[in-house]
Amino acid sequence: MKVLCYSSFTFSYLNRARALFTSVRRFHPDWELVALITDTPPEGFVFEPVNEPFDRVVYAQDLGIPDFQGWLFKHDVVEVCTAVKGPFIHQACQSGAEAVIYLDPDTALLSSLDPLVDWLGEHDVLLTPHLIDPNTDRAAILDNDLSASRTGIFNLGFVAVRTHGEGARFARWWNDRLLEFCYDDIPNGLFVDQRWCDHVPALFDKVKVIRDPGYNVASWNLSQRKVAIGKDGAITVNGSPLRFWHFTKLGPTGDTMTKKYAGQNYPVYEIWNWYKRQVTAFTDPAIPERYWAYDAFADGSKIEKAHRVLYRERADLQAAFPDPFSVEGGGYAAWLRAEGLRPA
Amino acid sequence: MAREASHDQVYRVISTAVDAAFYRTVYPDVAAAGVDPILHYDAEGWREGRDPAPWFSTRGYFAANPDVERADQNPLHHYLAAGRREGREIAASRHAVAYRAQRAQERVVPAWGFDPGRRPGPTLPGLSADILSSPASRAAVAAEFDAVFYLSLNSDVAEAGIDPLDHFLNLGWREGREPSADFSVADYLEMNPDVAQAGVNPLVHFALAGRAEGRSRKQNLGFRYQTLSKLQPVAERIARAKRAGEALSVDSPERLTAALSRSRSGLRDLHITLSHDDYSANVGGVQFCLQREGAGIAALGRDHLHLFPAVPWPTVRRAGQRAPMGALWNGERIGTFAGEAIAEALGQALAGVATGRRSLAIHSLLGHSSTEVLDILAAAEIEAGLFWLHDSASLCAGVHLMRNDVADCGAPPPQSPACSICIYGPYRQQQVAEHGRLFEALDLTVVAPSESALGFWGERTALRPSAAIVHPHAALAERGGAPQPANDAPLRVAFLGMPAAHKGWLAFRDVAQRFAGDPRYVFLHLATATDRGAPIEFHPVAVTQADPGAMRTALERLSVDVAVIWSLCRETFSFTAYETAAAGAMVLTNPDSGNVAAFVQSGSHGLVLPDEAALADLFATGEILELARARRSARLYDMIYSGLSADLLHEAPDA
Repeated sequence: MKVLCYSSFTFSYLNRARALFTSVRRFHPDWELVALITDTPPEGFVFEPVNEPFDRVVYAQDLGIPDFQGWLFKHDVVEVCTAVKGPFIHQACQSGAEAVIYLDPDTALLSSLDPLVDWLGEHDVLLTPHLIDPNTDRAAILDNDLSASRTGIFNLGFVAVRTHGEGARFARWWNDRLLEFCYDDIPNGLFVDQRWCDHVPALFDKVKVIRDPGYNVASWNLSQRKVAIGKDGAITVNGSPLRFWHFTKLGPTGDTMTKKYAGQNYPVYEIWNWYKRQVTAFTDPAIPERYWAYDAFADGSKIEKAHRVLYRERADLQAAFPDPFSVEGGGYAAWLRAEGLRPA
Repeated sequence: MAREASHDQVYRVISTAVDAAFYRTVYPDVAAAGVDPILHYDAEGWREGRDPAPWFSTRGYFAANPDVERADQNPLHHYLAAGRREGREIAASRHAVAYRAQRAQERVVPAWGFDPGRRPGPTLPGLSADILSSPASRAAVAAEFDAVFYLSLNSDVAEAGIDPLDHFLNLGWREGREPSADFSVADYLEMNPDVAQAGVNPLVHFALAGRAEGRSRKQNLGFRYQTLSKLQPVAERIARAKRAGEALSVDSPERLTAALSRSRSGLRDLHITLSHDDYSANVGGVQFCLQREGAGIAALGRDHLHLFPAVPWPTVRRAGQRAPMGALWNGERIGTFAGEAIAEALGQALAGVATGRRSLAIHSLLGHSSTEVLDILAAAEIEAGLFWLHDSASLCAGVHLMRNDVADCGAPPPQSPACSICIYGPYRQQQVAEHGRLFEALDLTVVAPSESALGFWGERTALRPSAAIVHPHAALAERGGAPQPANDAPLRVAFLGMPAAHKGWLAFRDVAQRFAGDPRYVFLHLATATDRGAPIEFHPVAVTQADPGAMRTALERLSVDVAVIWSLCRETFSFTAYETAAAGAMVLTNPDSGNVAAFVQSGSHGLVLPDEAALADLFATGEILELARARRSARLYDMIYSGLSADLLHEAPDA
């Protein structure tokens, strides 16, 4: 099966994406690997895609999204890197690939994903739920089960589709929804792309919910997953081979949640340590931490989340400032200042 | 972070830790001026090198953390806000001992509670200052506090006669002292940033609020987590070895030539050994073995050249990685030489000398390079030798086969997922290839000190020795029955040797900590040095060539019932297991301990337990008491030591 595997990120996540794609290439050298980047390279950093562990770069501005600058401005970095997943997967369905797999940049493969490819022989859409076993401990229910209820049953750090039939229909639907409604707005039933996918088993046929504990292991499901490393060198999760891990929240927050639920299951820390070493090795010091090209107005002043929310809610502002980044003739930034909203 | 902290924020954080009474006592000028010690310390005290509390040295913190000093930060604030979570070191104030002694003499114990002169810190929901000071709260806190545990770990508190709970509430928690085996101050603060931010004593918070809120007493992540959190990448270890090697001055090759002229055999008969260190200067099992071998070689009348990396090196060296090599000639240290200079000097010294009985024993290739070794052996016209399996360095750069230094890996296939996440994984192929070059170029006989070591190696290696034999380092010869101690004595449980994680020290320490104060047990450590901070009696014991039975006699003298030989890695022999049996004590071990488990199973020498949980259970239930000397008829044995390679050279054909 001809597989296209992609990830969506900005340059500050290039280190993680390198770790991901290196791991994918190790097990699936025949897959086409695509980096979907919503950013421009920082000054002083020489980006040479030919030396990267992926085959192709697609910049978000080349996806043909109408009124791209205004559309992008409505989103913060997490929202927009999620939103572009939709248009890309929809377009990839016409690229000649037979299957498209999305993986978050902070995931990494620990063994082959061949069983996924086999499942795609029968199913058109594959999803991994946050939880495949209910928690019984109260603290774990509060942290994990209720969190999944708020943010979505499925973790969209992974999705795989066939490029025909229900897979293509899903990709089209996802594209449409994410172009318009990909915001972190939990009170209104939105958590970027995830809450949408709660609908998938109802809206589409040939959907497989992967209930194998070896996929998408993360701090939010460690309370019900035990990792073991055998003398034969195999890494298993509840007895199934570990396929891929989701290293969400690299840093103190991720560490705290991991420790809380891994406890004395020390192979979990071995895997995290390995990942941290990978990310360190793939970090280019020329990329400033938290860099994002779309984080500031053209005059360099920082864009606040509130500026984006206001813009996305006000059609009059969108009409008045089709390129809200621009400060030509004052622009949206000047309007904000005039209205008493202080740019950071 | 401190760099942006306002004075208010700094005040709030450090106010929980500045010991006003201490500050006023040791700095009478502050007391005389009537200024707030907290304000004084923040405004100028730390810049003047004054210490805010007995447990914290301002200058000590700067010395250990020059980045904080460069950043011109209040060191106490830095430590409380960030440093302690980053594992930064602190030192006690130089005034601490005198101050505490004075207070103890005066029997002054500061009252527990907030100093009324202070501005109150932020309070947590349901935890007001009033609640904190009531007798009911003190009782609630006391119920969580284990005074026996505290005093057994803190002899200074016991000696000063201070109430242990008062000590903990006022000073101890800030000094990282734990209130019970079940509670961790550091863990509680890490898990609960709100408590850390509020500066409340963590045990007080737990007793009065945290428990009801479902918070945990400690993380209980196990000792393997601790090991992993300090894991150093191999590249860093190699870089450190390289730097240390470069800093070493190297002697001229002439010095080597001059030393070689002082010969036992006119250089005709020569035995070359390679190992990872200077066996005459270091203490350990392999070093003891080499001392025995050296003595045997001297008795055979052969000259003996021992080569080793002059600084410890974690792997076999790759071509191009240069390092200075140390040399012993007939047991004497003769200098440090550039690796590539040794072959040349040796070649010159041996030129024109008739070749007699020449032999080789490789005890470890760590720090050696195959190219240098082959050049040296060519100069000495040696083409065959013995290759000792003291460890698994010929299977992986992780010489103990401890994946990420936490668990026996069993040397799985190099492409396995386990190897891909292991720090040694990227170095394994190179390490095996360097050994392979020697096995290809030389006629090597593999010698294992145990059947178990040889069996495992044979299953996992692709190296092809010309022969393989087992030659144990020691054997037991029965000496008689052991005297029986009184029936009601507590069980004496010992750990023998280096307190290293891979030797099982942390597993032993966990048991000793958990059962500290349990009248059924006494925990002992017999070694040259110990690791402080655990309720374990230390007895210095050094096994040397002059006193090879030191451990056995110490075990008998101290009437040890049980030794926990909890090696996490596969021991190829284990002197300590033999010494334990020789002294009539029993061994407790785990299934991954290699020849320790094999030895225990070969006779009635103890128990092989599945894991640490089973070990703890044995102590909790008291089943371990069945192993007391008083409940069995212990036998005593002598240890008959081997001469290692010297024993085997009689039979080996001359090279």
